[in-house]
Amino acid sequence: MSVLVSVMGNELRALLRQRTALAGIVLMALLSITATVVSLHHMQAAAEQRARQQAAAQADFDAQPDRHPHRVVHYGHFVYRLPAALAAFDPGVDPFTGSSMFLEGHRQNTANFGDVMQSSILTRFGQLTPAFVLQVLAPLVLAFLGHGLVAQERERGTLRQLLLQGASRRSILGGKLAALLVVAAVFLLPAFIGLAWLAVGAAGALPVALMVMGGYALYLAVCCLLVTAVSALLPRRRDALLALIGGWALMALLVPRIAPDLAYALFPLPDRLHNEVGIARDLRALGDSHDPADPHFAQFRQQVLERYGVQRIEDLPVNYKGLLAVEGERLTSSLFNRYAQHSAAIQGQQNRLVAGFAALSPVLAIRQLSMAAAATDLQAHLAFLDQAERHRYRIVQQLNQMQADDVSYADDTAKDAGADQRKRVDSAHWQQIPRFAFQPLDTRSVLRALLSPLLILAGWLLAALLLLGMASRRLGVAR
Amino acid sequence: MNLWRHEFRLLLRSKVAFGSLLLLALLGIASLLSGVQRIDSQRQAIERIAALQAEDAAAVAAAHADSTDAGSAAYYSFQPTWNPPAPLAFAAVGMRDVAPIMLRVRALGLEAQIHDGDAFNPELALAGRFDFAFLLTFLFPLFVIALMHDLRSSEVESGRERLLRSLPLRMSGLYLRRTVVRMVMLWLCVAVPFTLVAVLQAVPVLQIIAVLSLAAAYLAFWTLVCLLLARRAWNSGVNAAVLASVWVVIALIAPAMANVGIERAIPVQQGAAIARAQREAVNHAWDIPREQTMRKFYARYPEWKDSAALGSGFHYKWYLAFHQNGDDDVAALAAEYRDGIERRSAAAARLGWVLPPVGLQVALTRMAGTDMQAHLAYQDRIRTYHGQLRHYFYQYLFTDREFHQRDHEQVPQFEPAP
Repeated sequence: MSVLVSVMGNELRALLRQRTALAGIVLMALLSITATVVSLHHMQAAAEQRARQQAAAQADFDAQPDRHPHRVVHYGHFVYRLPAALAAFDPGVDPFTGSSMFLEGHRQNTANFGDVMQSSILTRFGQLTPAFVLQVLAPLVLAFLGHGLVAQERERGTLRQLLLQGASRRSILGGKLAALLVVAAVFLLPAFIGLAWLAVGAAGALPVALMVMGGYALYLAVCCLLVTAVSALLPRRRDALLALIGGWALMALLVPRIAPDLAYALFPLPDRLHNEVGIARDLRALGDSHDPADPHFAQFRQQVLERYGVQRIEDLPVNYKGLLAVEGERLTSSLFNRYAQHSAAIQGQQNRLVAGFAALSPVLAIRQLSMAAAATDLQAHLAFLDQAERHRYRIVQQLNQMQADDVSYADDTAKDAGADQRKRVDSAHWQQIPRFAFQPLDTRSVLRALLSPLLILAGWLLAALLLLGMASRRLGVAR
Repeated sequence: MNLWRHEFRLLLRSKVAFGSLLLLALLGIASLLSGVQRIDSQRQAIERIAALQAEDAAAVAAAHADSTDAGSAAYYSFQPTWNPPAPLAFAAVGMRDVAPIMLRVRALGLEAQIHDGDAFNPELALAGRFDFAFLLTFLFPLFVIALMHDLRSSEVESGRERLLRSLPLRMSGLYLRRTVVRMVMLWLCVAVPFTLVAVLQAVPVLQIIAVLSLAAAYLAFWTLVCLLLARRAWNSGVNAAVLASVWVVIALIAPAMANVGIERAIPVQQGAAIARAQREAVNHAWDIPREQTMRKFYARYPEWKDSAALGSGFHYKWYLAFHQNGDDDVAALAAEYRDGIERRSAAAARLGWVLPPVGLQVALTRMAGTDMQAHLAYQDRIRTYHGQLRHYFYQYLFTDREFHQRDHEQVPQFEPAP
């Protein structure tokens, strides 16, 4: 044990004495701090901006004059997704998806105005966030700092001396590894402080933040283990460095891009135009509310008449046009949901395929864990789309019902000069329409989503430990 | 000549060098195939438009067969627009990954339609594509570093340089040959697969030459960096570490930092604000006297001002007029929004002169027609086309001409970029 500690102490002293290594550590720590501050600021600005827009949209909605309810169905509503508590740590897909959506009757719109559509190509180079720094840059810097841990001792012949003096292989490697782990901890610290700061204010965020910290600690531990093992396995320092840079390029750059390309090719996602035409086709098959001879709506009318025990639409106590609108919206919405579910299922397949590649690259595992924890992954985005659609359906149907109850059929079909005024309902009604507030996934299901990437990282840790064990057995064996 | 051949043989005899070159060539081929696959799937999606549109248009026409109102035709019929990929698009997929490449529009307010996105999986888009531009920008320099970092230091470390110096030959000639041989091999590994695929994809010769020259210039830049550092006479390990650090800073950190800077320096008003303003303007028309809307419309479009006065009933010309007014009301906002995006792109392009990786990406996506400029140009074409579409229906609406089935066939069709 004392050997381990002294090896670690020596290694750390050597790192601090070496100017390039020290510069690397300081720069990396600075970068981590900068990324944390910049990202916190960016997300805070985005959150304020969206909250302001949401409030303005709500004010516009409430300030509408007396209107026909169907006008309000078309007037629609804007909803915004406010960033989740930990989003600043890892913005994930947020810059790509857009955070606002226009809700209106008969149509399901996409979330639009994502950052990527309103900025330069630089967005695609990777964003300066704590997650990017820790996932992509930190392993590379650890490789720079650690490739010579063992290889250098071997090149200088000091490894043999150490072994001859009776130091166990295990304590030599353990000490070197411990030194590298200390450096990794320095990289993690600023991001963790930022993360803790984000989590403290938000309900339920603390256990998630702790899991993320655990995940990143595991991830960088895997990196340190791999670096130490490669440094011990390869005969020369330079070979170790080249192998590590190559391995890093493979895991951090190549696999994360090749896997999605494969997913795109294997599980093609229907485009919007294709879906829109498909929805229109299915809708024609269901029935046309404008066609008096349409079987579906003829049956619907018959049922309504029977329910109220009258012979003619004009005798109904409610406005038939409103009921028709309710039924029409029910039909279109069921189609929207079916197509949206189909699309979500394909995207789920794509993501599962990509997740399988985590066996080739721990970067994918930590990325998945990090985004899921920050609620900035596909799941969170789909949850927003789903809640927005439910909200759209609720307000549209409430307005349609308002048309049925508060606008008489006679007025609704009248075409005289004063009819326009009689069709309108009092503006006080707009206040009764429910407000949208995005409900983030509950803590328990977020934690559950973190489990599988954590297990994969644990698997990586095991594999890296085995590799180091192998390196340890071969250490000092003459070749 | 013999000396050159000897250098080639020396290079290929080294296991690391040979393996690296082979890997580079294989990755190059994979990146090209991946890009071709992606763009091909987009081409197929575009090819499917015609059949889908025919089906939809026929159904819409049949559903309103009893109406001779051009307004209902304008309201119910959507027209497709699309942005076909340029031949070179496979090399740099760029914005085509996230920006819509096809969009259906109708003759109503355009601002509520033009910003709609297409369906895509954002998690897949996150990392970016594995295309030739990525290979060239990010991975290629690493291979250059792997082959060049010990050009001189390995000779020093093995003690050969001292021996060579004692011989009557020029050292600079030796290192020059060695450098040139490595550059040529590296360049060939990306140039040959690219040229083959580019020829198959019918890329214009000038563009092929331009891409090959860009690759050569980029290669020259990284070689220069390697040579400059070699003058410091560090050992191979330090050389490799320093070069890789330079790469990280130039290719990853600096662009990310610059992005933060550009987004701060050039604020872009959120597009959603435009959509909201347009909606207000459009819906307001229902609450004001209809003549007011028409006066505003005729003031801007006097060619229709002789149209008959509105009766007491609903008329689609009023409906389309207030949609037009809504677009016109936010035209300044929309132009400002576009201008902000353009200025951000321009700032990134200027940065390309300082940061070669950014410059390379900007140049490749520009040539491939896959950058933000190309997307904005597509939006411009949609705007022009939408103007024609409106004009077509206005002819019927403002002169109360009947709109018959055959008139559906005369609706202007979108013309993609030549």
